[in-house]
Amino acid sequence: MPEENKPFNVTRRTVIASATFVPLAALTAAAQAPQTVLSPGQLKTLEAFIDRLVPKDENGPGAVECGAGTYIDRALAGALAAEKGTFLGGLAGVDTLARATHNAAFADLAPEVRDELLTTMDNGSASGFPNARPFFNRVRRLTLEGMFSDPYYGGNKNFAGWDLIRYPGPRLAVAPEDQKMSAPPKPYRRSAYSAGAK
Amino acid sequence: MAVNLKPVDVAVIGLGAAGGVAVLPLARAGLKVAGIEAGTWMDVHRFRPDEIYNNVRALVTSVPKAKREIPTFRTGNEMGARQGAAAPMMNAIGGTSIHYHAQSWRYNPWDFKVRLESIRRYGATSIPKGTTLEDWPVTYDELEEFYDHVEYEVGVSGRAGNIAGKIDPRGNVFEGPRKRDFPMPPLRDTDFTDMMMIAAKKLGWKPFRGPAAINSQPYRGRPGCAYHGYCDRGGCHISAKNSTAVTTIPEAQKTRNLTIFDKAQVTRIVSGGDGKVTGVLYLREGQEYFQRAKVVLLAGYTYENSRLLLLSKSKAYPKGLSNNHGQVGKHYFGHWDAQAGTGVSALFPFDLNIWYGAIAQNVTVDEFADDNFDHAGLGFIGGATIQVNTEKHPIGAAAMNTYGHAPQWGSKWKAFVRENAGRWVSSYIQANTFPYENTYLDLDPDVNDPLGDPVCRITSGPKENEPRQALYAGQKMEEWFRAAGAIEVTKAQGGGGPALTTHAFGGTRMGDNPETSVVDRWGFSHEAPNLGILGASVFGTAGARNPTLTVQALAWRTAEHLIKNWKSIG
Repeated sequence: MPEENKPFNVTRRTVIASATFVPLAALTAAAQAPQTVLSPGQLKTLEAFIDRLVPKDENGPGAVECGAGTYIDRALAGALAAEKGTFLGGLAGVDTLARATHNAAFADLAPEVRDELLTTMDNGSASGFPNARPFFNRVRRLTLEGMFSDPYYGGNKNFAGWDLIRYPGPRLAVAPEDQKMSAPPKPYRRSAYSAGAK
Repeated sequence: MAVNLKPVDVAVIGLGAAGGVAVLPLARAGLKVAGIEAGTWMDVHRFRPDEIYNNVRALVTSVPKAKREIPTFRTGNEMGARQGAAAPMMNAIGGTSIHYHAQSWRYNPWDFKVRLESIRRYGATSIPKGTTLEDWPVTYDELEEFYDHVEYEVGVSGRAGNIAGKIDPRGNVFEGPRKRDFPMPPLRDTDFTDMMMIAAKKLGWKPFRGPAAINSQPYRGRPGCAYHGYCDRGGCHISAKNSTAVTTIPEAQKTRNLTIFDKAQVTRIVSGGDGKVTGVLYLREGQEYFQRAKVVLLAGYTYENSRLLLLSKSKAYPKGLSNNHGQVGKHYFGHWDAQAGTGVSALFPFDLNIWYGAIAQNVTVDEFADDNFDHAGLGFIGGATIQVNTEKHPIGAAAMNTYGHAPQWGSKWKAFVRENAGRWVSSYIQANTFPYENTYLDLDPDVNDPLGDPVCRITSGPKENEPRQALYAGQKMEEWFRAAGAIEVTKAQGGGGPALTTHAFGGTRMGDNPETSVVDRWGFSHEAPNLGILGASVFGTAGARNPTLTVQALAWRTAEHLIKNWKSIG
């Protein structure tokens, strides 16, 4: 060890002491009054959409159960406010497409029918819906964010998204054994923002 | 009216990776230094293990001034230029060193004399068409002592491959000789790095653990790395990763010779009729100030350096400061790397557990970089390092390529991602990159910032050499992944090169000839003798590896030259 290295051991306690993230008051305020923008009808359309992107099935909860709709709703009220208009226009487009092709609201269609319509949006062949493809991709991307982000943002409810892909959760200090390939660390079901997160 | 501030010896514009290093030798030498920085101290509470915060919404890196000055980009002289969406620049005390990966490489000796060595080995026809390539006026040997200063000052961990000519195969055997070992051993091994080391050795290659400005053990009062895995686009919550905000800048402050002016946006460098610079004008909270200085060191990001010179017109410099030879903005190039579409990724039939760890906790192969292999018949010079890293985050992991095995949504997608999100890994390929006539910076004729000043415009035309290097390296990367047991590998197909990039070079090239460069071999302007320029904007070539340590070694060297020649320059 070079001589200028003074002994200075980092312990888990040092790490905790030097790394609290957000003032608790701010967290509590955010938790009490999360802003949202979607009407009940818009949320219903959105959830009917993302439910087909990641359905609830034998592999566990889907996007809706994970709270991806809540994540998107809150994001549009905050960090993504600039794209609210485009997004709501896209949601309206989905219902317009459903009424034009099946004379019903998108949320009222059977899962297989919704899949058919989403497929046309995904491949750009949805008639009368020119922005279908970018909107589809945006919803898909935001659904991933909602499923796999820190629960602090409203999604990944009960850590179901992280459990699905066996992501063991954020840790502030990671021991050598936590980087083992043969024995991955046990899930650490905690938000980085929860009190006592280590 | 500008408020006149008390004159100083040296005004440093930008306290980032480069300026933040240069202030240390200057302040230690007793010079009075004003560090003028558009950003401010970053609160450690903003450094969170949160993918949304750091990576998706870029809330550490998106800072006001940089966002207002995003360069425009076009692919040729006749094309329209569009403003980019994200700013690769950073304004903060510490600058981009706050959020960099901290890979801290020395360039290899070949990087400084690419033209000479290529002609010697392969003949004059090997030099790529349209390139303005020159050898650097500095050699590796001249820079060695400054690399050493910076490695020990900021704390670099790594394994030496060549100490004074003695080769150690555990390190990079292709590196230039270093006079002593790294101050710390490499970041720790993991099962994943072990697996990739073994696979590369099986192919007969010489893999090694790359160097990082991250403490692998406690160093100078800062703790060792906690390996939590949020270096990329985030700051270090325990300051185990270097940024100049936690290393050289606080050291310089101890001398009491450095005064920091934060939230100060420099609008012009002022010059007199004799061609010397007299100081800098900056805005702080709506008020304009003039900081007189005997010497000005310009240490902004590459795009900002050229832009500020071009904006700083005067009687002596009607085309922009230090631009009477028309060289400012020329010989610009973006690194041909992951951002240029060199990506190769692989799927394994088992969990990799690379959720934690630093990106700099990597394994690198240098065989296919520089002139470390015979290029006869390949049709290009240079090459690329190939590298694998730890640090994967859940959203990025789930947004994976499905390698043709599953659709992009629905139950089949869910089943695929459930099994494979933790079983894929991408690579980091960085190519040697050269300047070309068709690639340069200037001021955009149409797009201004809110002050009414034009933003920087990037023009980047097509190249032949760089895509060939990247394709060649991509094949080697695939071999490596296959040797490690990958069951699927995808490769990007060359790509058109980088647009806006965090690895941007040139625009104020260093050289001996004022007709083809902006600064001399010491980093001082050929035209304005008391103006120095720091940063990758002085590079004549890009090595096949991250540039920051070379930026910092050059910054230290320019500062030391100034100290030694204070009577004639100051």
